[in-house]
Amino acid sequence: MSRVAVEVAGLSKRFVLHHERYRSFQDLAIHMFRRRRTSEEFWALRDVSFTVEQGRSFGIIGENGSGKSTLLKIIAGILRPTSGSIHVDGRLAALLELGAGFHPDLSGRENIFLNAAVLGFTRDEIEQRLDAIVEFAEIERFIDTPLKHYSSGMQIRLGFAVAINSDPDVLITDEVLSVGDEVFQRKCMDRIDDLMRRGKTIIFVSHSLDQVRYVCTDAIWLDHGRVRAAGRSPEVVQAYLDFANKKDRERRGETEPDEVTAAAGVDASRRWGSRELEITRVEMLDDRGLHSTVFETGSSVTIRIHYLAHERVARPVFGLAIHYGEHVHLNGPNTGAAGLPIEYVDGPGVVEYRIKALPLLRGLYTLSVAAYDEHGLHAYDHHDRLYPFHVQQLRIREAYGMVWMDAEWCHEPGWRAPSSNGHKAPVGVGGER
Amino acid sequence: MGLWRYRELVRNFVVRDLKARYKNSVLGFLWSLANPLLMMIVFTVVAVAVWHRDYRDFPVFFLSGLLAWNWCAGSVVGGTYSITGNAHLIKKVAFPRELLPLSLVLSNGVNFTLAVVPFLLLAAAFGFWPHPLLLLLPVVMLVQVLFLTGVALFLGCLNVYFRDTEQIVDTMMLAWFVLTPIFYSVEDLTQQYARWIYYLNPMASIISTYRLIFYYHSPPDAFFMLRMTVQALLVFVVGYLFFLRRAADFGEEV
Repeated sequence: MSRVAVEVAGLSKRFVLHHERYRSFQDLAIHMFRRRRTSEEFWALRDVSFTVEQGRSFGIIGENGSGKSTLLKIIAGILRPTSGSIHVDGRLAALLELGAGFHPDLSGRENIFLNAAVLGFTRDEIEQRLDAIVEFAEIERFIDTPLKHYSSGMQIRLGFAVAINSDPDVLITDEVLSVGDEVFQRKCMDRIDDLMRRGKTIIFVSHSLDQVRYVCTDAIWLDHGRVRAAGRSPEVVQAYLDFANKKDRERRGETEPDEVTAAAGVDASRRWGSRELEITRVEMLDDRGLHSTVFETGSSVTIRIHYLAHERVARPVFGLAIHYGEHVHLNGPNTGAAGLPIEYVDGPGVVEYRIKALPLLRGLYTLSVAAYDEHGLHAYDHHDRLYPFHVQQLRIREAYGMVWMDAEWCHEPGWRAPSSNGHKAPVGVGGER
Repeated sequence: MGLWRYRELVRNFVVRDLKARYKNSVLGFLWSLANPLLMMIVFTVVAVAVWHRDYRDFPVFFLSGLLAWNWCAGSVVGGTYSITGNAHLIKKVAFPRELLPLSLVLSNGVNFTLAVVPFLLLAAAFGFWPHPLLLLLPVVMLVQVLFLTGVALFLGCLNVYFRDTEQIVDTMMLAWFVLTPIFYSVEDLTQQYARWIYYLNPMASIISTYRLIFYYHSPPDAFFMLRMTVQALLVFVVGYLFFLRRAADFGEEV
């Protein structure tokens, strides 16, 4: 089904820190007489293995100095691994710096050629993409102006335009997505989404955990050069957040809370409620009953809400909502509207929402879950758009919009509408208005 | 070969070098001729006053060696800095690192070619009409590209590990200039010195050949050409191998 785009096996990288480096012949001469070398080894990566499948977006998270950038540089071919192997299937473009090799005295056009050539493109390939690059960067009027007269925003847009239009099979980026204004960022995200739709693979490092949660299907968490967690990105981010929070509490000398909730560490503005009835965990299960955050259009999905009622709560209503991205509200079913009365809850329990055939097309969606009182006025616990998930389309080829309807097309040749007496042609076949 | 894919990058590096040098202007190009012209005047004055040379003949004699020397000096000094001076690129982008010294040699070669045209006009003005031997020019230039690329690769790589290379190269250039037959001819030397200079300094052979083409208008000896080519090839291969063995580590060493 899915092919492997990048395979990293047993990768290790050792840096040797020379405290006294022989950077000059003078040093060398002096140290000829003192034989002992004071150097120290430092393992930036230790036995890192993972695979990224085609069409996935893969995030690398971790604290500063955890080896993220080293890993990217090794995959990009800038650094040589001490041991281990990397296999990349297809053309790889590494975008570790926007506008690498830009020259201030050259015009925008000349810089496009220079920058694209650094990325390994031939003249023909660059010419084919020139218009798209210029348009994407929104610099049509200034294309023949020397780069030194560009604003920094324009330079960044140009750099990103070249990279994203290079149309690689595997795109590697390092934080660079967090540049530009809101509008441009959204444009970049759209383009990345588009790359993924076309089965391209994206690997990126980010300090923005939200970005990783929303953009990446999979992730790994590096801790001091070792893989601490790997898997679906929301789970990896969650594990990392739990760890970071725990560390934070230890630093402040606090004790663990008695209940580690699903939303621990998440922005408080995304979760509210009085919490007599608490939603402790939310699981999404695919048609095989396995945890996942990537689902197939038309397949069955189960959303399982684990709750814990700290006291007896009468007639609660459980509900959920699905958004396309974060802003387009698609639905909002709840147990009240569905006619599932819950007399009371006390202690732990589970509520499930079973979707027989997922009617969503490819894209990134977010799930909200909530528990309210019977009138829907008082929130016990509301998790607002905390659970991102991806929908992929392997079987269904529909490409427009965001909804898939379980319907079929029919065609009857030779069928003619009885003329002009109020009958209508079948919808969508054309005919009369 | 993987390098062929990157021909566009080589072209761009060369264009970048040339544009930066000429600052996008015709005047910029004319300025690049000012240095050899001034050197020619100064050396002609000295040659006429000290060695009693003929002023109608010395400028062409001198320039036929100096232009090729400038190509050499620009490539060797520039090549030494070509890796360390592009650290920002090397740390951020993966591309064959040998393209940096190579494009530097090539851009200096373009510069040489552009200077040859006004030089031929000047030579004609002094009565040295272009000779059919000019057809040999591309061959000698190719030999020079090989030699200079080998040297630039070696020094560029060495400078990553020993920054003193820069200083040493800067200092040695003047000595190399004097030890190369530019303002004198190898024939002026006694036989045994002449032989040593050809063996130890490939630029001496190369410049002597240019001078045969531009000034003496007499064909070079085939064995001499062969020895010169083999010598240049050897320098190229040694320099390239030395470079390739270390190039993969530049990302962390620069």
